Amino acid sequence: MNTNSKTKLPAHELAFEWAWQAVKEKDWKAAAHRWEVLRQGYPSHPATWLQNAIAHIETGDFEHAEYLLSHARQEFPDHPQTLTESAFLAIRKKECDAAEGYLQQARHKHPDAVQTWLKSSECAEEIGQLAKATEYSEKACQCSPDLPGPYIQYAELAMRNKQWEQALERWKKLRLLFPNLHVGYIRAADAARHLNRPREARQLILAQQYDTSILDNDSQNEGLQSKTLQSDKVSKQHNGHTSITRLLNLIWAKAIFNLRSEDHHNYLSYVWWILEPLIHMAIYYLVFGYLLQRGGENFPVFLLTGLIPWMWFMKAVSSSSNSIIAGQHLLLQVDLPSIVFPLVSLVQSTLKQIPVFILLFAFLWLHNITPSANWWALLPVITVQILLTIAFASMVAALVPFMRDLTYLVPTGLTLLMFLSGIFYDYRMIPVEWQSAFLMNPVAFLLQCYRDIFIGNSLPDLQTLGWWGIGSAVTCIGLAYAYKRLRYVYPRVLME
Amino acid sequence: MKPVITLQDVAVRYKRNGNLFRKKTYFEALKSINMDIYPGETLGILGRNGSGKSTLLRLISGIIKPDHGRVTNHGASVSLLALQTGFDPNLSGHDNAIFSGMLQGASRREVQNKLNEIQEYSELGNFFFEPVRTYSTGMRARLGFSISTIISPDVLLIDEVLSVGDQHFKHKAERTMVEKIQSQQTVVLVSHSHQQIARLCDRAVLIDDGISYASGDPHDVLDVYEERLEQKKT
Repeated sequence: MNTNSKTKLPAHELAFEWAWQAVKEKDWKAAAHRWEVLRQGYPSHPATWLQNAIAHIETGDFEHAEYLLSHARQEFPDHPQTLTESAFLAIRKKECDAAEGYLQQARHKHPDAVQTWLKSSECAEEIGQLAKATEYSEKACQCSPDLPGPYIQYAELAMRNKQWEQALERWKKLRLLFPNLHVGYIRAADAARHLNRPREARQLILAQQYDTSILDNDSQNEGLQSKTLQSDKVSKQHNGHTSITRLLNLIWAKAIFNLRSEDHHNYLSYVWWILEPLIHMAIYYLVFGYLLQRGGENFPVFLLTGLIPWMWFMKAVSSSSNSIIAGQHLLLQVDLPSIVFPLVSLVQSTLKQIPVFILLFAFLWLHNITPSANWWALLPVITVQILLTIAFASMVAALVPFMRDLTYLVPTGLTLLMFLSGIFYDYRMIPVEWQSAFLMNPVAFLLQCYRDIFIGNSLPDLQTLGWWGIGSAVTCIGLAYAYKRLRYVYPRVLME
Repeated sequence: MKPVITLQDVAVRYKRNGNLFRKKTYFEALKSINMDIYPGETLGILGRNGSGKSTLLRLISGIIKPDHGRVTNHGASVSLLALQTGFDPNLSGHDNAIFSGMLQGASRREVQNKLNEIQEYSELGNFFFEPVRTYSTGMRARLGFSISTIISPDVLLIDEVLSVGDQHFKHKAERTMVEKIQSQQTVVLVSHSHQQIARLCDRAVLIDDGISYASGDPHDVLDVYEERLEQKKT
């Protein structure tokens, strides 16, 4: 095969590559020229004649093509393309009868050749026989299921006839067989656009750009549609953080997470919860009990019963005061009621007090103070303290964003309150005429309640306690309302 | 079709420099915005820097209320795809995922049921149980994206998307967005990339000088946008 003249020629596959390149690039002029050249070397090879003819047809040089094809018909009468390309030329020259003549022969002689059916379909379409064209095109697909060409023709046929639905169907078939061919997506998108289905069109384009599994939920799409209709119900629950339980869950979770996070900061982590009040106690004991000799009998017990409830209150208030500002990055990204922030600080500092209270009980037990019948009163005392702390802490927290200068006043105010609450002295040591005024301070009153129970082994003033409880509860409700009213004000205040 | 969220003649102004000694001045971020968001659509929001797009997203997500006009939400949960909403660096990815998911409106149980999915999607492996402070920036972004993707709200707001992690994850994230957009998820997308808007959006709204200047087919709106840009230059 590879020796055709005295000089040795390369294998024809290799040599033809040169011309095929031009064909691929649809540079028909170059193709015509290259096949011409190749024919000098390989005149017995049908491709050099037929392909050259095709190139000439494409450039419009029908005369030259006719010459080449008539030669081919003589030389290679059994080559299927001889007939089909002759028909191709005839179609181009609008000689449909002649084309049909060639194709009839081709269909008779070469029913297995794809070209036969492709060209037959083309010819039938040219003369307006749509049904025939479709039939031939189908045949072409059956002939060579491993080539995309026939499928493309099949789909394009539908496109040209504006049978968009059918075209979509056919492009889909092409995509199934040849998922990497872009034409299957792009042209299908065109068809979808003609059907006024832009969503489907976009999906096809995106599938081509990303990957085809985007189309897999094709069938689920209807299911999804019904899901969105139902989703009204789901979304109501989902909507923001309106339900109280949801809000409480969120506060609880955040408080626990914060505690977990804190313990990363220091080596002793949880031990500090207990260590800190003990150190405070040691300092006060040193100053008041030892240096000033003001302690009196059983001073450590007296000190601790006041100090521990006070530290609970103090920590809750001071940690809440700046909480809304500290949480602004969240507040500006999530639709969240701002009351969450002081409450998280409150829950967090309250949880930390639980082991401290256990420590207090252990300490009392060491000093031979054991639970008595009066200890049930601890329950209302602690409840009132919780209400009071919530009221106080959330009030301060609510004000700070509007008056940031308050942040400087909060520690000072708390120190003042500490001195006025009788933590390291008994209120009975102050002048009698001031004593009732002193107890008007709810914190001082609460500390006295604790001491009545633990040291005095008596019931506290339950009536006054009740009034403080009611007062605090009403304040809490009022504050909750204020927070609700100010809900959308806080993000704005923080942004400005 | 009924819109899920409607904005009618909405205006927002911010206070500036106001304190005891100086007179307040106001800055109008948005002057008059009219737009509807329909269920299942992908709406693109176009606008130059400082044209009030972030304010608009905050309005849509219900974080702030307008000074004028109305924002009506017909009962849809909305959340901003914020890649690292409230991460606590000392907590593990696992704990942060729970809280972040709850912040985005899911219940704790709902999030817990999806933790495996989040871990898998984020491709963090056992790092999922390590404190977030040990993560690289890319890993954090991956975690954040995974949470928002899997705990998906009715309306997802996306601000300048998808510079998430490495090339591989970025492609994955983009793909997921594409899938969401395709799957009837309502998305509001703010982007500078004209191409992205043209490619992904069903509709676009142009915000300029605080006014919803044009809305409709993304290609048309993009044309108007470019025209406006040209005008501003000259």
